[in-house]
Amino acid sequence: MSSPLSGMRGIVLTQAWAGAYCTELLGFMGADIIQVEVRKRPDSWRGAYDAPLPEKLRGGDSVRNAWNCNYLYNSVNLNKRCVTLDLQTAEGAAIFRQMLPLADFVVENFSPRVLNNLGFAYEEMDRIRPGIILCSLSAYGHTGPWANVPGIGGTIEPTSGLSALLGYPGGHPMNSGLMYPDAVAGLNAFTAVLAAVRHRNRTGKGQYIDLSMQEANLVFAGEAALEFIRTGRQRERMGNRHPAFAPHGIFPCRGHDRWIAIACQSETEWQQLLHAFGGPISLRGELFASNSQRKANEDELESALAAITCERDRDELAEQLTGAGVIAARVFDALEIAEDQGLRERGVIGKVQHPEAGEWLQALVPWRFSRSEKPLVRAAPRLGEHSAEVFAELLGMDPGEYARLAEAGISGEGPPD
Amino acid sequence: MDQALANVRVLDISSSAGGAWCTRLLADLGADVILLEPPGGHPLRSEAPFDLDGRSLVAEYFLANKRAARFDFEADDCAGRLAALAKPVDVVVTSLRPSEAGRLGLSYAAFGNASLVVAHITPYGISGKRADTPGNELTVAALSGWAALNGQASSSPLRPTGHQVAFCAGTVAAGCVIAALVDRDREGGAGQEVDISELDVMVSAGSPGILRGQYTGHSTPRRESADVTAGPVPVADGYFALTISRAHFWRDAMTVLGLHDLAEDPRWETSWYRQSHKDEYSGRVGEAMLGWKKADLFEELAARRVVAGPVLTMEELRSNSHLAERHFWTEADGQDFPGAPFRMSATPWRLRSRAPEPPTTEVEAK
Repeated sequence: MSSPLSGMRGIVLTQAWAGAYCTELLGFMGADIIQVEVRKRPDSWRGAYDAPLPEKLRGGDSVRNAWNCNYLYNSVNLNKRCVTLDLQTAEGAAIFRQMLPLADFVVENFSPRVLNNLGFAYEEMDRIRPGIILCSLSAYGHTGPWANVPGIGGTIEPTSGLSALLGYPGGHPMNSGLMYPDAVAGLNAFTAVLAAVRHRNRTGKGQYIDLSMQEANLVFAGEAALEFIRTGRQRERMGNRHPAFAPHGIFPCRGHDRWIAIACQSETEWQQLLHAFGGPISLRGELFASNSQRKANEDELESALAAITCERDRDELAEQLTGAGVIAARVFDALEIAEDQGLRERGVIGKVQHPEAGEWLQALVPWRFSRSEKPLVRAAPRLGEHSAEVFAELLGMDPGEYARLAEAGISGEGPPD
Repeated sequence: MDQALANVRVLDISSSAGGAWCTRLLADLGADVILLEPPGGHPLRSEAPFDLDGRSLVAEYFLANKRAARFDFEADDCAGRLAALAKPVDVVVTSLRPSEAGRLGLSYAAFGNASLVVAHITPYGISGKRADTPGNELTVAALSGWAALNGQASSSPLRPTGHQVAFCAGTVAAGCVIAALVDRDREGGAGQEVDISELDVMVSAGSPGILRGQYTGHSTPRRESADVTAGPVPVADGYFALTISRAHFWRDAMTVLGLHDLAEDPRWETSWYRQSHKDEYSGRVGEAMLGWKKADLFEELAARRVVAGPVLTMEELRSNSHLAERHFWTEADGQDFPGAPFRMSATPWRLRSRAPEPPTTEVEAK
């Protein structure tokens, strides 16, 4: 038994969310992912060297360094090995050059100038390792007038068209609560690299992938783009509503910040909802007799529904409605997701034991294959945790040589001396 | 130049946006996708909004680049007829919940083709306690934690816009289908099933928030207000996001806005300090931003390499010079479309055709 990318290796220069998430998923596919970081400026998602430890971790026996325990880094770097290597030094670059022939793909999400400045443009990598796949994720892509404009999820959301679409009816444009565009970029890069792997396995030829976060996210706003192209209309912000069906919303339940999502996509489903509610008079009138009337009177419909749901316990109501065949669900927060039995059964939530941070419930592999092996999940690596191991395994480097590199700050662990 | 999925044949029997996006991406990467539509047409064909000719724009986008044939799923021997159609194909994509598949007699074994890759894309996966529970974009947004984070504290949780769940799950599913094809090449032609739960994908896409909640002991609440630290705020001609992280972003942005005392006071260079004292400056910053047009402010800040972003409408994106120079917008059958989510140098993404007309004739296996 094996996984689809068993035996393949990615030597990756990914950081923060988008790139790191892409390479985590490729690791879940069975590839050996070697994350390259630099001591003088580790991944920004590890946090600053002088950042305080999170309160919950203070006093823990195993906890030593905040940069190995950051929830951001540790949530998107599972199943990787981490080496430190300063590519700005001649010796560090030379070691990277020796590692490249052992890589099948490289993924990076520096600003576009950085890789070229380091002397590792795609053409050079392909010369060193013919057939290599290089995937670059950047804010606006590697060409065009904005190529060197910096961007992150919080600014790509507005410049990709997504923010203009997110918000309550009649309200102002919004950004998502997380930096969603990073996830979008990571998922697309994951699929792009797999497509390139297939081509390479069949032809021996590598290629360069240029992923612009702006474009990947604009593609996910593509139906609204097409609406403008064909009709000249900018789609309005719709909140939780659906363009065609009503009800389609999130309604308050009894207690503080307890909510339930309810949608009816057909007349049958509306009747099921009415039945489940015991046919209350407030929902029976002419105003709500058909989908088009419910859509036309959506404010009134939502008020009438909220008046019912706000008296009800969220969990009981969700159970009752889904049992009656209504499309409904509890609105979970992060802690409820971690504890949800259904997600644990699926294996997408599970315990991860980190050597410093301890045991936590984390999001794991978001797919299931019937035959391919499910990878064992490993915690995110500590900074430089695998430097000596990987250099010995790939390059035959002896411990003395590694110690010298660590002494010189080219590799090693923790803050520069 | 070849495409990555040239010679891959896909039979799409899905009826959801998630399934449709998976096969759209496979088609864009070169697969020949045949979409089987029930006599009433693919459900997306009746989903608003519509173009001026009455075509669903959702269908136009999600069903593009495919061929379509009519197939009556309710007629006798659905499984046998599908197995015959699936004989020469590499991949079948479905969105049936287990009970629906059972009713039609469909299973991996029923295809009788050991090299077949079958991808299931359903709201909650084909196993587990929710497998047969009906769901959609809204319920997946609710259960995955996305809704609880989106929106404002004073109002209801908010789902992501449009079909974000379908896009994310469809993209992961396409990646997994390709992975299964890679695996099949290595494993002597053995196919397998791929089970994609839209909920699992959105949980994965929100992984940082899940660990953060446990570290802090509470879930991140929705934002109290629309201030400069929490996303786009008004400027003279629209909205603008100023996402300050590094010290120099703060100094340079405040200098551009003419707020020199804020720029020069070293206390504000630290992000935790700014966050905990935002009431002391967010009003002044917001007021200063109102004096700027979004394109001018973006240009000034970009020149200083400060991370910032104007809220762009589709009209602005259509005329955006950066996207134009990158030839982002594309064309198929004389119609303009959004282009590629990524550029592959050797095996390019390609849109060959718009969505097919609703099929009128029943398909039969040859």
